[in-house]
Amino acid sequence: MPVVNVLTDGIGEVNLRDIDVYRNRGGYAQWQRALTELQPENIAQMTSDSGLRGRGGAGFPTGRKWSFLPKNGRPRYLVCNCDEAEPGTFKDHMLLLETPHQVLEGILLGAYAIGSHHAFMYIRGEFEQGYRVFMEALAQARAAGFVGQNVFGTDYGIEVTVHRGAGAYICGEETALLNSLEGKRGEPRLKPPFPAVKGLYGEPTVVNNVETLATLPHILKNGPQWFASVGPPRSPGFKIVSVSGHVRRPGNYEVPLGTPLRELLEIAGGPREGRTIVAVQPGGGSSACLFAEDLDLPYDFDTMAQHGTMLGSGAIVFFDETTNFVEAALALVRFFAHESCGQCTPCREGGHWLEVTLNRILSGGGLDSDIDLLLSVSHQLTGINLCPLGDSIEPFLASVVRRFEPQFRGYVRRPESILVSA
Amino acid sequence: MTEAGPPQSVSLTIDGTPVTVPAGTLVVEAAKTVDTDVPVYCYHPKLGPAGLCRICLVEIERLPKLQIACNTPVAEGMVVHTHGQKVEDGRRAVMEFLLLNHPLDCPICDKGGECDLQDFSMAYGQGASRLADAKASKPKALDLGPTIVLDDERCIVCQRCTRFDDIITRERSLVVKDRGQRDVIATASGEPYRSNFSGNVTELCPVGALTSKTYRFKSRPWDNHRTATTCTQCSVGCQLFVDERYGTIARTMSVPSDDAISDGWLCDRGRYNIGFYADARRITAPLLRRGEQYVQIGWDDAVEAWAAGLRDALGAAGPQAVGVLGGGRLLNEEIVLLVALMQELGVTNLDWRAGRQRQATPGRYAGTYAELEAAQLILAVGRPPSQTAPVLDLRIRKAVSQRGARYVTYGGHAAGSFVGVTPLRSADDVENVLSGVERVAVVWDGIDLELGARLASAIDGWVARGVSVTTYLSGEANNARGAEALGMVPRSGGLPFTGMLDAAQNGRLRSLSIFGANPVLHHPLGGASVANALERIPFLVVSELFLTETAQRAHLILPARTGFEKAGHVINLAGDVLPVHQAHAAPPGTLADGDMLVALAAELAAEVPGPEDVLARATAALPAATHGFGDAAYSEGVTASKSDGMAAGKPGGGGLRIAVGSDIFAGGGTIWFDETLAELRPDPAATLSPATAARLDVHIGDRLDLLSSSGDDSLQGLVVRIDAGAPDDVVAVIDGLPEAPANSFADGDNVVLGARRAADALEPALVLP
Repeated sequence: MPVVNVLTDGIGEVNLRDIDVYRNRGGYAQWQRALTELQPENIAQMTSDSGLRGRGGAGFPTGRKWSFLPKNGRPRYLVCNCDEAEPGTFKDHMLLLETPHQVLEGILLGAYAIGSHHAFMYIRGEFEQGYRVFMEALAQARAAGFVGQNVFGTDYGIEVTVHRGAGAYICGEETALLNSLEGKRGEPRLKPPFPAVKGLYGEPTVVNNVETLATLPHILKNGPQWFASVGPPRSPGFKIVSVSGHVRRPGNYEVPLGTPLRELLEIAGGPREGRTIVAVQPGGGSSACLFAEDLDLPYDFDTMAQHGTMLGSGAIVFFDETTNFVEAALALVRFFAHESCGQCTPCREGGHWLEVTLNRILSGGGLDSDIDLLLSVSHQLTGINLCPLGDSIEPFLASVVRRFEPQFRGYVRRPESILVSA
Repeated sequence: MTEAGPPQSVSLTIDGTPVTVPAGTLVVEAAKTVDTDVPVYCYHPKLGPAGLCRICLVEIERLPKLQIACNTPVAEGMVVHTHGQKVEDGRRAVMEFLLLNHPLDCPICDKGGECDLQDFSMAYGQGASRLADAKASKPKALDLGPTIVLDDERCIVCQRCTRFDDIITRERSLVVKDRGQRDVIATASGEPYRSNFSGNVTELCPVGALTSKTYRFKSRPWDNHRTATTCTQCSVGCQLFVDERYGTIARTMSVPSDDAISDGWLCDRGRYNIGFYADARRITAPLLRRGEQYVQIGWDDAVEAWAAGLRDALGAAGPQAVGVLGGGRLLNEEIVLLVALMQELGVTNLDWRAGRQRQATPGRYAGTYAELEAAQLILAVGRPPSQTAPVLDLRIRKAVSQRGARYVTYGGHAAGSFVGVTPLRSADDVENVLSGVERVAVVWDGIDLELGARLASAIDGWVARGVSVTTYLSGEANNARGAEALGMVPRSGGLPFTGMLDAAQNGRLRSLSIFGANPVLHHPLGGASVANALERIPFLVVSELFLTETAQRAHLILPARTGFEKAGHVINLAGDVLPVHQAHAAPPGTLADGDMLVALAAELAAEVPGPEDVLARATAALPAATHGFGDAAYSEGVTASKSDGMAAGKPGGGGLRIAVGSDIFAGGGTIWFDETLAELRPDPAATLSPATAARLDVHIGDRLDLLSSSGDDSLQGLVVRIDAGAPDDVVAVIDGLPEAPANSFADGDNVVLGARRAADALEPALVLP
């Protein structure tokens, strides 16, 4: 089994919330090394060389993202995105709860690498306990002198400000997150300008995911080649996947990228007794489904993209043959319609329309034309929105409507549907 | 990179036409240079791109997805297609979404006929809706505030209104509430939407979601007859459209292209104070006093009586026994005629100053609005322009928020400007904020001449050390600057109005003609003194729209015409000569003041210039001002202010001083006689700081009387308000309220508390038998 313990090392075995425990296992050694031995450019170069791609969903190369910051002498900010709300994803919450110091060390390294003296931690509103855990970790690190002025006796100073969201999915989108951080309504900003140029409080800003940042101490410790040599060349390294759905042992598993989906299914205990997996949503609620014949595909960014879906945040949901895909489609469509900030037209209206339509189909009022309507509406609302939320509706819906059309037809053709056919 | 060269230009192709535009231009703007039409809802040139509605999709070659024209800057060699199958498909999709839950109630919607949603539906909409379910229901006919009604079902959430309230007015009370398909427009506080600029959101609204209470269900655009004219409410001189429907004025609208003066906006006074012309209390026939009563007479008799009265006075005591007051509310042509006629009669007692303002000419540093906007430091001395010249204040907000200007005030009044403002307390403070500043704009209210003189000499000092200074005088009356420029000032040896009142008291003024002025309510000598003097004049003539406090004292009342009902010119505070066009037929029985004067001249057989001469003089460009702004060109004995505003030291004695301020909806004439404004007129209020209220033991809602320190004058029944930002030991009141006239009080006067009544004493107590 290819399960590894890199970011997850020690979880469930020792109390990593205790700074002494974390330090005894090598924690904050890379932070000390960075400040006393390395220049920010060294860390940026190592991150680039490692090939690390963002773990939040978009999979953008982290080193390249940092390189977009203009060298204009303005203050810069690093923001850690811990608004994890993609349906099916629960890895960042685990890291926050179980290894808060590892997350903090990653934040500090990232901030130092981009030349920032003020980092922000944006924690999803619902993560009440994670917030408390992180605040305690931050207090311990501050007391130990790892955060504040003249860290390790150098002239480098860093502040970390923690902010809690109010429970909006859209605030995981980086510009909505920045608005929320500034105390504004949590809705995405128009781009350009991009955050790297004009981000938090109008200054150059990098927003990185929790897992992305937590990976940094390991790349520093083991070197970029160690990381780059794992998995496919363009999707290197380890990834925590959140496996759920019709498996026997749902949970977070850390694996090398490129592990076949079937193997991931086995790691999570395989299908329930006597059941067969018919579909898998491999990259969170925004991704299109793959099906039984796709299970041997390696799980990496590029393979997923080549097959019309995405790796996303690494949330994998397996569906067996007992699944009602009309209800599943409604669950996701309802989620996106509910979470639409409402500022741009296609997402606001289209999501709501699809929800109303699916509700009607499920309550026996489906029309023959509804199947085409679902496909047509979800397609025409895609690609013309301000942010990716609107574009997140079509992939799953269209993939299951096409694959499991008889299920949808079955609802439409139920005798009860005569109620509305007049 | 070129150094300090002209702005770089970019060449691109739009619909096959090569165009060259400055770098940074947005595709939506670049498209305007070729003959194409990119539809927009949320985009507005003055609000910038928002990227919300998504209707402006265009195809840009080599980009896989459609792009929004409103937020895509041009690039060298870019090839843009604003039409074509892909673009039409995208727009059709957006249109379908926009119309999905829209009620399509065009036949009963005020916007019908001038609605972008309607127009683009014709271009991109589908004949039938694919929605098989009920449309989402949202609040309708929602009372958003005293001026605006909101229909959330019609709203397409383009956020033009919220962005106007954020970017332009900086007031930030309008927000989008809730999210997704449930989102609605609301105020952040939940309180009514109140702003001096609220009406602009009804024009910005591309659909019928925001409508004006005064225009709802009143007309359809195709029934309106539109006239472009100049607003005559204040001295800014905004250009506006008056829409008339079968003999009634339906509404006024801004002129979006009027960048130089209004910047495309209107204040609510200019927009909504239009109902007065049709008020039932309007005078529509000349009225002659017979004992205690007025009788209606014809115009021939009125002009004859007027001429006879003048002849009697001239015959008995010569031209020095005759006076004229007014001009600030007249047209240039009328002022020219008035001045010429009086010159012909030898009358030198002329004055336009019926209120507090002493001067209207901004002196030799007179500036344009563009120069005000470009200033690094804006200094408002006396009453700031937020209430007296609202659209000028909007430009100050723009200078501060978009150009980084600093705004400071001197004189103890709250700026009411919704941008950062620093109140300065001393002349030293003023000098300090000037250090390092190259461009200064000074706005003065023209009230305290002594303060103005000190200001003028300070400005000379700044100019001497190389600071570029522009000066502005915000007038109390819309054409104060015209009246002053065209000669409605005391002629050689003539009396200013205060002198005329003295002469009246002594029986030496035998005839006074007043044109569109109400000194009983506005002159700083106070209503009782002015009325007393006026009542001693044997022949008082007042040309007015209504029976004002002043007109009620007249022997002969002449029914005048409103600014909508006559044509001519006015001069705004920036010195622009602006046309006033007749937008509405005047009620029978009324005459424009100019026509009255022509008739009077004929009756008196006096020579006045002919129409061409009058027009030439009325429209001549103003010569560069050489005087004004604090100099003593034609000053007079009485100044309104007894001290340097609130900048004076600690109050003595009872410890309470008064600050008299303005409100755009305070006034006795067009405001008082406009019932549509009932909700907007301010209550007579006394505003105190919390500490002062505590010291005086008064509470919010209490009623109190204020007495001048001599006890001669009083302000009665003021409602107590508490404002945490108010200075201590100062009670702020509003000028020009007929029910509580404050004109005998000047900034800095000591006042004492008179009677007070607890708030709950106002409610009738429930007493059970």
